[in-house]
Amino acid sequence: MIAVVDYGMGNLRSVQKGFEKAGCDALVSGEVKSIEKASKIVLPGVGAFRDCMRNLEERGLAEPVIRHIEKGKPFLGICLGLQLLFEESEEFGAHKGLGVIKGKVKRFPQREHLKVPHMGWNSVNKVKEAPLLANIKNESYFYFVHSYYILPEEDVAATTTDYGLEFVSSIWKDNIFACQFHPEKSQSDGLNILKAFGELN
Amino acid sequence: MEIIPAIDLKGGQCVRLEQGDMKRDTVFSSDPVSMAKKWASLGATRLHLVDLDGAFKGTPRNKDIIEDIIDAISIPVQVGGGIRDIETIDEYISMGADRVILGTIAQKSPQFVIKACDIYHGRIVVGIDAKEGKVAIKGWAEVTSKNAMELAAEYEDYGVAAIIYTDISRDGMMRGPNIETTRELALSVDIPIIASGGVSSIDDIKKLLPLVNDGVEGVITGKAIYSGALDLKEAVDLAANGRTG
Repeated sequence: MIAVVDYGMGNLRSVQKGFEKAGCDALVSGEVKSIEKASKIVLPGVGAFRDCMRNLEERGLAEPVIRHIEKGKPFLGICLGLQLLFEESEEFGAHKGLGVIKGKVKRFPQREHLKVPHMGWNSVNKVKEAPLLANIKNESYFYFVHSYYILPEEDVAATTTDYGLEFVSSIWKDNIFACQFHPEKSQSDGLNILKAFGELN
Repeated sequence: MEIIPAIDLKGGQCVRLEQGDMKRDTVFSSDPVSMAKKWASLGATRLHLVDLDGAFKGTPRNKDIIEDIIDAISIPVQVGGGIRDIETIDEYISMGADRVILGTIAQKSPQFVIKACDIYHGRIVVGIDAKEGKVAIKGWAEVTSKNAMELAAEYEDYGVAAIIYTDISRDGMMRGPNIETTRELALSVDIPIIASGGVSSIDDIKKLLPLVNDGVEGVITGKAIYSGALDLKEAVDLAANGRTG
């Protein structure tokens, strides 16, 4: 069973519905037990890094998520669910993340004509053949909403995207796939990724 | 450039009005959710939802259907109509709306726009309705002497993410968009403009496309796609080359 981790940050129904459209069952749960039982988990998230991390910890969900990843079970992170994997974010001062992947989360610099948040459709360059991207053509468009981007210190980049600077828009490492864009808002290409996650063994 | 299908909701149905007149409505579908799915399946990259009852009553009246639409499709959705307080913005954003559109309240209360933009940076869109470049108010009943460009500059200062520019002499009339006033407005501010009103054919889309370089990031289309005068898929394919983040 796929469990979408509910830790009180934003609309998770759209992620759940996305799986439904992709032909996979997913439950939304904030209970430690269901997260521990799940064969696959999805960590979504919108809002501030600090609040997300605090909510995860207060609800006792940070540990189960880390354990799930350490056991080698499939994990999908979306948007903030990608950023939370890293060691720290500079959002509102330095804040510690789950520390599963080495690296940091940084804010886009203010530049003319490139608004922050980066909000809208943008294309991805595949730099690695990640299993979840097997059916995705290079230069496909996905939907982004974010002000911060990841700076991995490990070779985990699956795709990069250009927004004034080239940032890592998705990562793949063993059982972890995580993307900065929103597959649940990215038409059929997005649903393809959810479907591929649902079909992982 | 994004070609953005509009779904205007009145009494739970998908309607189009002529020049904003609630009495001159045409019902295009009693099932707005299917309509939304149809536009999404034809390649739309965003939907524009307007709660017309909400806009006229000043408080949302079609929330359930809007929620059903957001759940049913896998593309971003912007929502407007009757949004006059932060609680309603909260509600729509947590429902999964990508952006919310402020109309009447934006003209009445700059403080409210500033506050909303502060809380939801990048997600507040404001509409400017104008006739020949002059701002119209009170549900288009009154055209003021205020220049649309002046108002756009104010909204930009407040921090809005984009401006939806509707030429009210064209909306629902399929007379072709007002290319020149749209271009002038887009050039006068740094924030993106979404053109609305009057698109009648693929030729209008062709005329609008070069404006993407001037800051026109999208065009809302209603009657033309419902009447069949514009083939949404053709328009989306034509405009997709200009799709940028």
